[in-house]
Amino acid sequence: MKRYDAIVIGGGHNGLVTAAYLARAKKSVLVLERRPRVGGAAITEEIFPGFKFTMFSYVVSLLRPEIIRDLDLPKHGLHILPLESTVTPMENGDYLAAWGDHDETRRELYRHSPRDAEAYDEYGRLMHFMAQAVKPILGMVPPDPTSFAPGDLAGLLKLGKHFRGLGGERLHALVKLMTMSSADFLDEWFETDVLKATKSASGIIGTFLGPRSPGTAYVLLHHYMGELDGVFRAWGFAKGGTGAVSEAIASAARSFGAEIRCDAGVSKVLVRNGRATGVVLESGDELSAGIVVSSLDPRRTFLQLLDSNELPAEFVADIKRFKFRGSSGKVNLALDLLPSFTCMPGIGRQHRGAFSISPSLDYVERAYDDAKYGEFSRRPYMDIVFPSMIDPGMAPPGKHVMSIFVQYAPYHLNGGWTDAKREAFGDAVVNTVESFAPGFTSKILHRQVITPLDIEKITGLSEGNIFAGELALHQLFFLRPAPGWAKFATPVRGFYQAGSGTHPGGGIMGASGRLAAMRILKDRA
Amino acid sequence: MSLRTTPFHPRTGPLSEGQAWRRWAGYVVASAYELSHDREYHAIRNSAALFDVSPLYKYMVTGKDASRLLDHVVTRNVGKAKVGQVLYTPWCDDEGKQIDDGTISVLGEQTFRMTSADPTLRWLHLNASGLDVTIADVSETTAALSLQGPSSRAILQIAAERDLSALKYFRLTSAKIRNIPVTISRTGYTGDLGFEVWVDASQAVPLWDALIETGTPYGLTPAGMLALDVARIEAGLLLIEVDYFSSRHALIESQKSSPLELGLGWTVATDKERYNGQAALDAERKRGPSWQFTGLTVDWDSLEQLYADVGLPPRLPSQAWRTSVPIYDRGGHTQLGYATSGGWSPLLKRYMALAHLGSEHAPGMEVRMEVTVEHHRKQAKALVTPLPFFNPERKRA
Amino acid sequence: MKYDAIVIGAGANGLVTAHYLARAGKRVVVVEQRQAVDPSADIGWVPPRVIRDLGLRNLRLEQPDPWLTVPLDGGGTLELSRDVGRSADAIRRLSPADAAKWPEFCARMRTLAGVLEKLYLVPAPDIETRDPRELARIVGLGLYVRRLGKQAVIDLARILPMSIAELLDDWFENDALKGALGALGIWHLKQGPRSGGTAFNFLHHHVGSAAGVFRPPRSNITAALAAKPGVEIRRGARATVLAKNGRASGVVLENSGETIEAPLVVSSAPPRATLQPLAIELYPDFARAVSNIKARGVVARGTLTLAQPPAYSTLCIAPSLDYLERAYDDAKYGKDSTAPYVEVQRTDGRVEVHVQFVPPGTHGGLAERVAQILEVRPNQVTLQPAEESLYHGELTLDQILFMRPVPGWSRYRTPIEGLYLCGSGTHPGGGIPGAAGRNAAREIL
Repeated sequence: MKRYDAIVIGGGHNGLVTAAYLARAKKSVLVLERRPRVGGAAITEEIFPGFKFTMFSYVVSLLRPEIIRDLDLPKHGLHILPLESTVTPMENGDYLAAWGDHDETRRELYRHSPRDAEAYDEYGRLMHFMAQAVKPILGMVPPDPTSFAPGDLAGLLKLGKHFRGLGGERLHALVKLMTMSSADFLDEWFETDVLKATKSASGIIGTFLGPRSPGTAYVLLHHYMGELDGVFRAWGFAKGGTGAVSEAIASAARSFGAEIRCDAGVSKVLVRNGRATGVVLESGDELSAGIVVSSLDPRRTFLQLLDSNELPAEFVADIKRFKFRGSSGKVNLALDLLPSFTCMPGIGRQHRGAFSISPSLDYVERAYDDAKYGEFSRRPYMDIVFPSMIDPGMAPPGKHVMSIFVQYAPYHLNGGWTDAKREAFGDAVVNTVESFAPGFTSKILHRQVITPLDIEKITGLSEGNIFAGELALHQLFFLRPAPGWAKFATPVRGFYQAGSGTHPGGGIMGASGRLAAMRILKDRA
Repeated sequence: MSLRTTPFHPRTGPLSEGQAWRRWAGYVVASAYELSHDREYHAIRNSAALFDVSPLYKYMVTGKDASRLLDHVVTRNVGKAKVGQVLYTPWCDDEGKQIDDGTISVLGEQTFRMTSADPTLRWLHLNASGLDVTIADVSETTAALSLQGPSSRAILQIAAERDLSALKYFRLTSAKIRNIPVTISRTGYTGDLGFEVWVDASQAVPLWDALIETGTPYGLTPAGMLALDVARIEAGLLLIEVDYFSSRHALIESQKSSPLELGLGWTVATDKERYNGQAALDAERKRGPSWQFTGLTVDWDSLEQLYADVGLPPRLPSQAWRTSVPIYDRGGHTQLGYATSGGWSPLLKRYMALAHLGSEHAPGMEVRMEVTVEHHRKQAKALVTPLPFFNPERKRA
Repeated sequence: MKYDAIVIGAGANGLVTAHYLARAGKRVVVVEQRQAVDPSADIGWVPPRVIRDLGLRNLRLEQPDPWLTVPLDGGGTLELSRDVGRSADAIRRLSPADAAKWPEFCARMRTLAGVLEKLYLVPAPDIETRDPRELARIVGLGLYVRRLGKQAVIDLARILPMSIAELLDDWFENDALKGALGALGIWHLKQGPRSGGTAFNFLHHHVGSAAGVFRPPRSNITAALAAKPGVEIRRGARATVLAKNGRASGVVLENSGETIEAPLVVSSAPPRATLQPLAIELYPDFARAVSNIKARGVVARGTLTLAQPPAYSTLCIAPSLDYLERAYDDAKYGKDSTAPYVEVQRTDGRVEVHVQFVPPGTHGGLAERVAQILEVRPNQVTLQPAEESLYHGELTLDQILFMRPVPGWSRYRTPIEGLYLCGSGTHPGGGIPGAAGRNAAREIL
């Protein structure tokens, strides 16, 4: 039987990135994917004949450019197209739009508030600085502040120096971003409610928090990360959907010699004398490897693939405490015609960008209130894109696909999710869109509603959390996924973690997978 | 959607022969109306040129504390200015680094119009807390034309049907041009005799027509930004985002400049109460600024030689440039500073540049400026030259 | 009479600063707008150093036992006592699992509160400093925390940004217990128990208390300080700071227009109230930071008139975390809580009431609702809703330590020379009477 240098469990984008980097370093690598195709939550499927959907994740914003360069992804078919605008319809029939052009956006903001138009530029500059300040942290292996190891002390010192190098103003802004609610943070800058609403909405994605919950300001930064890498705008859409991103990474991994096996779910990691030696497949087959890497979320990695007695009790308790609380759903629609929104009638360039259904801070906060007490939002926050407007290959000629990211849909719904509840949730989404775009419902050809429970069932992400674990302050950095074990190694020797549930986590970023591969290669050097 | 056009666009639009437009503060303005900007430049120095400067940001500051607010913001002493006066002034952050520069027109005891290159509404509001003052953004409702050149006064006197010889440099007056109420200020960005005419946007087109009709026999020529750029370098006038960075936009400390370093020491009042940056500027004045903003004249023979070395006659950029160019010492090894704008002066027949140098480099000192000759980096000899390069008597007379 | 220093406000912090300055030989006058001593703010830990330094012999510290009485849904009460074991016994009747965890919970929280105590009696660490002494002090604080053990470091990093609901859900299952403890997490905060940072607020109010006591102590600190000779107190006059060209020169009294001059002015009034009238003397970025201080009033306080003193020392109506969260939900949209969190405390011959959330606005039927909850007649309840936070700045993570009162100005100084701050709006904040006052005085001296 062939023995691999490394087996990577899970063919999501992070697992594939790890595999590609390991293979690039001349290791023999096998990726095991439970489903018939790679991609995990980043998949494109033709759900209705001729209509392709990016099933779960829908935009590519944070995919690390060094990964694109290192793995030469464009050669393997990756093409990220810009998402040009965001239009936020308001309940009074007006709108707020952010366009690709600075002057145009400024003029639009000026219409709402001359002062906010100026504050927006200043805010943008500060956030740009801040993104620059945080970027090196995303790229570093988090030092453990509880450890006295020289490496950790040096890491802490480096971190301290980095922060002090920012200077007072930016350091204070960073503290504010890490601790404040997005609503409070934005209150310090702007007076236009709809502007604060649409900005704060980006701070709640994937969390079980509302715009007024402390800790949501940090995610505001993510919007500015992309720009740093010379990308003109942060938000993009991959040609062929996010599945194409996974396919490109898989193709790159194969080109380096990695083997990828689908329909090959792993049931257990084999451990002998505290050391991982291989895996057992659901089919019962055993495969052996020098190292085993799990890109599944921490709960499945440690509580499902391993026996608890292989792990320290304290660590198991920490992992059990790690919060998932999936809060988002997805509605995918096949459309006969594009909808016309009351605030900006007709079909036009607005359909090449996103529509954000976040008309006011109170609207988004009330959506959260529903979820807090175990109901899906009656009028949810939604982020809508029409992928077929950017990539015509996604739908039959003249027809369109519409991707609606919806929050909040709590995993722990009162009484649990049923088929009827799923459809009721879908109706709430469609009815809310209808209120901003009358006549929209009649254009729907097919509808697919995905709840957090569906996300869990299909992708395996625990509680349907799209970030493989909530991106909350106490679950970040050296606490992700557990104190002392945030450096991709695990208490089991030769067993590593590489998913979004590790630092830095979240989004189609690939950083966790890359850092994990670096760590493994360093350990094996 | 598209960019905004100024209130004069119904007239300026059809004039553009080469459709050469550029952006200015969210508007489109002409780079040059004719296919080359040469004639437009010469009109500034020879007859008169008419510029559409409507994209300037303009604010009306009124109320009991209006002058207190402005004095809190800018470095010049607004409280001491008389009605009818116009002040050119920079304004600074708390470290005495320049944020922007512009003019303040004293229209009445409690009525001021401020112009700026960057949006300034929010900054004024932030400074106004606790003050009894109203700040209105009149950028869109006020249009402005700049009439510059030796014939500008003659043209304007006919158009306004009044004698303007008493209107001194940096003074303003209200007037009527064909029954259109306007404010005329003796200001400009060319370093020549010139005026700016401020008008309600609704009256912009008739005002344009009146001035063109009156001025054409005097050689009045509509002119664009390319011609203006040459003139302002000759006049040694700063351009934000080119010659200096707003301290509120700068990414690092070394990108910031103080007015003392920019040759604007004369605008920093010593006789006023606390204003933004006062303590830092006082201290800097005491120890002397470490940088200066000065002119450079590229030595023609030296430039000619560099081209001759590769068998070419000297070639010069046809337009003024706005890129950063290193300046070295005589030996050519130690970098002393950098030039930020430069170009050929068709009038002075010299290659000039505006540069940031250590303050120890006195006029007449010889330095080296980097030039690219046929793909190769070379250094041309240049002399430190006091600003402005061109300063005709008629400017103030 | 010439003064060396003027202190604005005769609350605990103002008086502590005044007495420390007087002790160093300065002639000090305190100007206070109220005519009488206000004891209602005397809630919180009085640092023993202050008591010792100022020789506050007549200070009375109240240590009620049991410290909390919680009415239960099905009748009866849960009484929490100073003795950890006795409390555990009481909790056992509701949840044996919770009772088993109580002692360890108390010990862990006590350790963390101890870290805060250490931070609170000195100026906030200046993380921008290049001064080797300050750097050494920061490293020293870091080492102190690490010496407490790995668990303390992890707890600190994990618990401070947490919500009190997450913290309590990690430990306990009983709603009544979690509600009663959770209330301390939202105390004087415009946040619900599910908001991050409320676990910190909980620990902040645990400082100075014994393990297992989760309500701040009461004392007669203000009266004790006011009675102490050594500083002159002038009452009934609201004072505004006089400053010109970046220097403070004294204060002017609002009613009489009288001017008092001194080279040093120390204000224990809210930072915003002190600094906003001086805006023309300030750089706009600083003025903006001051106007951005979050100090939203959400509490109505007042008294309860009862025929005879109640049997309990403190009665807490916060039956569950959801109850508190829903009370907060109303406040988010600017309304009084339909079912507010109510706490009643017997102290020094009075019965005080704390009602949360009561955001600024109209308060229709508030007294009636509170009366109904407490099963008394509406005319027995008097309430004064506060427009601003009692603490002059909410104790959220972005407004503590070197971020308080405004980022980068935690050393009690202001950009105006000769003007200092010493009130609750400065580090370490409200609920610790005298700590800010002492730190400020030491910085000034």
